[in-house]
Amino acid sequence: MAESQSQEDPRTQVEAASKAFEHEFERFARFTGQYAAVQGLTLDQAESEERALAELRTRHLGKKSVLVNCKKSIGRVATEGRAAFGQLVQSREAEIVSAIEQAESKLKDHIQSARTQRESIDVTLPGRRPRRGHLHPITLVRERLEDIFVALGYAIEDDCEIETDFYNFDALNIPPNHPARASQDTFYTTEGLALRSQTSTVQIHAMQRRGAPVRMIAPGRVFRRDTPDPTHNPMFFQVEGLCVDRGISMAHLKGTVAELLRRMFGSKTVTRFRPSYFPFTEPSAEFDFSCFKCGGLGCRICKNSGWIELGGSGMVHPNVLRAAGVDPEEFSGFAFGFGIDRMVGLMYELDDIRLLFENDVRFLEQFE
Amino acid sequence: MLISYNWLRELSGTTLTPLELRERLTMVGLAIDGVEEKDGDSVLDVEVPSNRPDCLSHVGIAREVAVIESGKVRPPSSKPVRAEGRATDLTSVEIRDTDLCPRYAARLVCGVKIAPSPAWLAKQLEEIGQRPINNIADITNYVLHEQGQPLHAFDSAKLGGQRIVVRRATPGEKLKTLDGVERPLDADMLVIADAERPVALAGIMGGEDSEISIQTTDVLIESAYFNPDSVRRTARKLGMDTEASRRFERGADYENVLRAQNRCVELICEIAGGVATEDTIDVYPSPMPSRRIAFRPARVENLTSLSVAETDMKSILTGLGIVHTEESHAVWKCVPPTWRIDIEREEDLVEEIARHFGYDKIDSELPPSNQSGEHQPRELRIRKLRRTLQILGFDEAINFSFIEAVHDNQFELIPEFNTEDSKHAFITLKNPIIENEVRMRPTLIPGVLNSLRHNLNHGVRSCRLFETGRIFAKSDSGELPNEREALSLIATGGASEENRAQAPRETDFYDLKGSLEAALAAMNRGPLRFTKAQAKHLREGQSAMILLADGTPIGSLGRLAESVSDAYKFRQPVYVAELDLTRLLAAEELPVQYEPLPRYPSVVRDLTILVGRQITLEELLRTIEEQQVDDCRGAQLVGTYEGANIPEDRRAVTLRIEYRSDERTLRDEEVEERHRGLIDSLLRQYSAQLH
Ligand SMILES: [Zn+2]
Repeated sequence: MAESQSQEDPRTQVEAASKAFEHEFERFARFTGQYAAVQGLTLDQAESEERALAELRTRHLGKKSVLVNCKKSIGRVATEGRAAFGQLVQSREAEIVSAIEQAESKLKDHIQSARTQRESIDVTLPGRRPRRGHLHPITLVRERLEDIFVALGYAIEDDCEIETDFYNFDALNIPPNHPARASQDTFYTTEGLALRSQTSTVQIHAMQRRGAPVRMIAPGRVFRRDTPDPTHNPMFFQVEGLCVDRGISMAHLKGTVAELLRRMFGSKTVTRFRPSYFPFTEPSAEFDFSCFKCGGLGCRICKNSGWIELGGSGMVHPNVLRAAGVDPEEFSGFAFGFGIDRMVGLMYELDDIRLLFENDVRFLEQFE
Repeated sequence: MLISYNWLRELSGTTLTPLELRERLTMVGLAIDGVEEKDGDSVLDVEVPSNRPDCLSHVGIAREVAVIESGKVRPPSSKPVRAEGRATDLTSVEIRDTDLCPRYAARLVCGVKIAPSPAWLAKQLEEIGQRPINNIADITNYVLHEQGQPLHAFDSAKLGGQRIVVRRATPGEKLKTLDGVERPLDADMLVIADAERPVALAGIMGGEDSEISIQTTDVLIESAYFNPDSVRRTARKLGMDTEASRRFERGADYENVLRAQNRCVELICEIAGGVATEDTIDVYPSPMPSRRIAFRPARVENLTSLSVAETDMKSILTGLGIVHTEESHAVWKCVPPTWRIDIEREEDLVEEIARHFGYDKIDSELPPSNQSGEHQPRELRIRKLRRTLQILGFDEAINFSFIEAVHDNQFELIPEFNTEDSKHAFITLKNPIIENEVRMRPTLIPGVLNSLRHNLNHGVRSCRLFETGRIFAKSDSGELPNEREALSLIATGGASEENRAQAPRETDFYDLKGSLEAALAAMNRGPLRFTKAQAKHLREGQSAMILLADGTPIGSLGRLAESVSDAYKFRQPVYVAELDLTRLLAAEELPVQYEPLPRYPSVVRDLTILVGRQITLEELLRTIEEQQVDDCRGAQLVGTYEGANIPEDRRAVTLRIEYRSDERTLRDEEVEERHRGLIDSLLRQYSAQLH
C-alpha cells in the first residue's frame, strides 16, 4: 500500500485531501454563514461541536494528516514541479486553517456568551451573613451616658449591689425611721443587708476611696420593692453622678445636667429645675426637660405639659460629705440621679417597661 | 393632696389664676399634678414633698402663696363662742407615755345637735374628695384640711369614767375602729383610752364605741401632737393609712394644737349649736425646744451662685415665718416657725431663699475642667465582648437578680461558688416581691433559660442569648456577700443567617464553644482550655469544664441535660455556658509580641488515623508536640469522621502537619522521613491505624 501510495501523484493526493476536508467541513461551514447557525446551538451542543472541530483539525492538519505528509514529501518532488507543488500544498493548508479558525472563532464566541448566560446569578438574593444580634437598649443608653460623662471628665464607678444599712441609708443622711428603710420599700437579705435602693451608695465608696475633689458617675442596678406593672419593676438601672470640688455651686449642676440632656435629646433641649426634697441633698431640685417629641407644645409623652420629668439632684448634703470623710466647709458638690430604664422608656416610647426584662427577641431586635 | 382654689383664695387673697398658681407653686417645689374645674371652683392636685407636712393643708399652701405674692395669710374668721363651765369638771386627761404623746388637749362642747352638714361645708369637703358624714365629723375634717391639724371628736357620754388616758396598749387588748375592723393591739401601739379600754388608735383612727351618733349631745374634741415614728409604726403594722396618720407621721405643728381646736369648737358652736367649756385641758408637760440656726448669708451665693440682696433674703425669711436677727453682718440667727420641722440647718435656709428667689435665675455652666474621665477598667473589654457576641448573632438579655429556690441544686455553679455546702451559701431575701423568687441568683443560667422559654413559646425556633451580670453567694470572710460578674450564653435551633428563612444547619456544641472563644479572644483573653467534665445541668458526654490557660477552672459549657430541658419543655437541643467574668478579667492580659515572618516556605502533610473514640484531639496534639520532631511547626485539625466504614469504637481524625525550617527550604525526602517518624509514634501510642 505504502508503495502504491508513494507512487500516486502527490498533487492528486493533495486535491483529494482538500476535497475530503471540504466534505467533512460542510457541517461546520454553516456556522460561518451570514445567518450563523451557531446561535441555535445550546451550550452543550456548541461544546461538542467544538470538540468535533478540534478532531477535524487534527485529522487534516495534525502530524499524521495527508497534508503534513505531503509537505514532508515536497523535497522528493521533481525540481521543475516542486515550487508549484509547494504553493499548492501551502494554499490548500491555508484554506483549511482559515476555514477551521473561522468556525472555531464563531463557536468560541458563542460558547463564551452561552456560558456567561448560564452562569449569571440573581444579585438580589440575600448576601450570606450570620444573623446579627442586638444589644439590650439599657446597655445602649448606658454606654452612651458613660461616654458622655467620660468626655466631661468623670470616672465611671461601681460597687456592691448588696449593701450595709450604713452605705444604703445612714451615710446618705436617710433618717433611721425614714419609710424608704421599711421592708415595704427596700429588699433585705436574711442577714439584714439591703439590696441597694440607689447607686448613691457608690458615691460614698468613691469619696472614701478617692477623697475630694472627685467627679464620678455610678450606673448600675438598683432594687425597690415594687410589684411589676407597666411603669414599675422591682429592679431597674440608675445613674448617679457626683462632682465635689472647691467652689462647686448649683450653676455647675444645672450646666452639667443641661449639657447631658442636650447630648442625649438634641441641642434644642431645655432643662428646668424645680425645688424638691431628697435627704442626701440640700438644696435639692428635680429636673425636667423640654419634650423632645412635641418641643414643648404638649403631647402624649409629656402628658400635655411640654415637660418631661427625669430625675433628682441637688447640692450634696453636708452630712453625706462628712460621712464620706470630706470637709463640707472646704468642699461643696452636686449630685444627680435618674433612671436609665426611664430614659430608655422615653427614648423609644415604651408603653410597658416590663418588656425590658422579658428578653423577647422580637423586642430586642428593634434596637441598634 | 387636693386644694380648693376658692378656699385658698379666701386664706391667701391670691390674685393669681389657678393655672398661674400651678406654674408658680411648681417652681417653689410644690408640683401640681393637675388642675380640675369643679362647680365654680378649681381643684389643684398638689404633690407635697415628704418633708413638708406643713403644706398638707390649705393654710400651709396659702403661706407659700403669700410669699410668692408678697402677701399675707388671712387667718380664718369665725365668731366667738358661748362658753360655760370648766372642762376639768367634766373630764380629765392623763398622758402616761409622754414619749409618744408630748401634748394632748381636750375641750368639750355640750348640747350639740347632730345633723347633716350645711350645704357649703358638705360641698367644700366633697370638692377635695372627702365624704361628708355628719356635722361634727365634717367640722373636724374641715379643720384638718384647713389647718393641717388632725382632730378627733368623741361622744363624751360613751367615755368610761369620763376620763382620757393616753397610754400604750396592753398586749391582748383589741379595738374596733371606725371602719368596723377589730384590731389586735400590742404594747408598741399608743392608744387613747377611757377608764377601762382603748377608745381610739392615737393619731390614726377613732373607735366605733365612742363614735358620734345621732343621740350624741356632748362631744369631746381631741387635739394632740403624737410622736411621728410611733404613728408610722402602728399604722404600718395595722396596714392603715388615714388623713390623720399621714400628717402625724410626717410631723404636725405642736404649737397649732390649741388654735386648731379652738377653730373647731367655734365652728361646732356655729353649726351644731351647743356650749363650749371655758377652758381646754392642755397637757403639755415639757414644751418642745425651738431651733436656732446660725446662717451665713454668703452661703447662698457659695452654694447656688445666686446673688441675692440681703433685703430680699430677709423678706423671704420673714414671709416664711423665719425669725432672723443679725448677730453680725456675716452671721444671722434664725428661728424657723414650729410648723417648719424640715428646717434644721444653714443649707435648709439657703434652699428656702433660693427656691423663692427662683431656681430659674441660677446660671448654667459646666464646672471648670480639671481632670480626665475614665471608664471602669473592665468596661472597654466587656464592650468588645458584647460587640463580638452581637456579631455572632447573640441578643443581649437582662434578667432580674432574684430567682426561685427550686433552682437551688439544679445547676453547676461557677467553681468559686461551688462549695460542698452550697445550700447554705445562698443569699436569701427576707421580703421577696415576686412569689418564690427568694434567692439572689448564684447563676445566670435560670434567667437565660426563662428568656429562652419565653421566646420559644412565642414561635421563635432559633435563639441565641447572652447575659452579663452579678451573681451572689455568701462569702467566707467579711460581712458582705461575694458578688461576681458572670457571663452566660445560650443557643438553640439553627445557626441563622440574615434574611434567610431556614438556617443552613443546626447549632451544636462547637458553635457555642467557638462563640465563647471568639468573644474572649476579642478581649485578648485566652486561649481557654476545655476538658471533659460532668456538670449537674449538662448532658453527660457533651459537657466541658472551661479553664484558664494556667488550669484554673472558671465555668462550664455543654448541652443542657434532659432533666432540665424537660422541666422547661424544650424539645430541641439547647447549649449553655456560664463563666466567671471577674476571674477571667483578673487574669493577666496576654502580651502581644512580634515574631519574625518565615523566610522559607513550609511543607504540609495531611494524615488520617483511626483512633479510639475516647482519645481527644488535645491528647493527639500534645503527643505531636512531645515528639519534638525537627522543624515540625505543629498540627491543625482538618476534620473528624465517624460512621459508615469505621468501627463503632473508633473515629477517623485528619490532621495537617506543618514543617518549616528557619535556615533553608526543606527537601521532600527530609519531610517525608520526619513525617513517617511522627506517624509511627502516633500509631504506637494510640494503637491507631492509618486510614
Ligand atoms: Zn410632648
